[in-house]
Amino acid sequence: MKKMLWCCLVVLLTMGAAAYAATYRVINEEAAVRKDRRFFAPIVIRVPYGEKVESREVKGDWLNVTYRGTQGWIHKSAVTELKIDWTALGGGKAAESTKDEVALAGKGFTPEVEKAFHDKNPAMRYDLVNQVESYRITDEKIQAFIRAGKLREPGGES
Amino acid sequence: MKRHHVLHMAFILTFLLLMPGCAEVVKVGTTAGQEMGVITAKDKEIIDRTAKGAERAARPMTEKEEYFLGRAVAATILGTYKLDQNEKLTTYVNQVGQALAMVSDVPLTYGGYHFAILATDEVNALACPGGIIFVSRGMLTRAKNEEELASILAHEIAHVNHRDGVRAIQNSRWLEVVTALGSDVAGTYGSGDIAKLTSLFEGSVNDVVKTLVTNGYSREQERAADQGALVIMNRIGYDPNGMPDYLATLAKEEKAGGTRGFFSTHPGMADRLAVVQETVSKNKWARADHRVRDGRFDSYL
Repeated sequence: MKKMLWCCLVVLLTMGAAAYAATYRVINEEAAVRKDRRFFAPIVIRVPYGEKVESREVKGDWLNVTYRGTQGWIHKSAVTELKIDWTALGGGKAAESTKDEVALAGKGFTPEVEKAFHDKNPAMRYDLVNQVESYRITDEKIQAFIRAGKLREPGGES
Repeated sequence: MKRHHVLHMAFILTFLLLMPGCAEVVKVGTTAGQEMGVITAKDKEIIDRTAKGAERAARPMTEKEEYFLGRAVAATILGTYKLDQNEKLTTYVNQVGQALAMVSDVPLTYGGYHFAILATDEVNALACPGGIIFVSRGMLTRAKNEEELASILAHEIAHVNHRDGVRAIQNSRWLEVVTALGSDVAGTYGSGDIAKLTSLFEGSVNDVVKTLVTNGYSREQERAADQGALVIMNRIGYDPNGMPDYLATLAKEEKAGGTRGFFSTHPGMADRLAVVQETVSKNKWARADHRVRDGRFDSYL
């Protein structure tokens, strides 16, 4: 009986340790991993869409992650947590699944579908959409704008 | 009712409840049910098939799909309205917008937030799914200072945060999209698949455009966007009083008979103003000194 209890404890602790290091997938076209947990902190590495990152620490809206050996902070809105699909355990395999699986496989509303839609509707002004998407303000410029306007800089806790 | 019939009904009801969660669990149960003779082979087939469909329908749109949807909505809008090419004003609007988006509930989206001006005197502001936000010249010129401009942009950012654009797509259409994709993530499309998905994509784009331009969001969605905007403004230090100030201008215009564009899709300005005023006073948000921001606003508008 005692042996049985010890076995259960070991299993639970193993599961706990496994759960501690959570895996996330990047859902932005490109996500910035920063030195500190705030938006204007220097970027230590950029992670492309679909890549997995490991996290062992969450503080507020920021996750401490490791990607290709580089550690830093990523905002929670740039990633989605990969959940273990326990129903797959019966099949001898613990699968990780997210709603992105289908999209990652190149299905769903994709560039291919966008192209077909544009071919069918040539009056759509994708040229102007591309222009609008080119409107980007650098971190330095937004920070300077916030400071000049005496606004509050986004803090680490937000 | 015979005991067998009660069991039969109970079985079917149980699996109807399980459907949205897990088709595999449903399948195990229906197999057992068939073996016990509680349901027929035909019942099992129908339940399993519906469960699979329900599971697929439960898949929400991904951020990447939302991005492509938003691009198509923006391309449609820019097919109707002209894009204002004033670079300095566009940069200024983007600076205000980006600063606000950064403190919103969803600061990062797949393709990021981008703000553009529509060259029309009509009063309008439109948030495309994913983060492209349009604001008309007419809307901008009615703002008296940067706080009021911030209230317009924060309201649209809140719509993006709440994924209101995506929610405009008919459920039946999204169910068709998910069903058309199939359950297998592997493999590539055939030409027929692309044609079908393109047609569903087109329908989804039309659903969103129709809501944005013609029907408008529900009053609850507008109210939620107003409340979200007040929070965003307060977080970064814009005076939340900018929102009731701006709504008061629009309410006055609506009362005077404004019905086009924004007024047709955003009715009930006076009600919105009253709710926003109540939130501002409840939170005791006193008027802030924003002269430093007024100066730069005046140099652009």
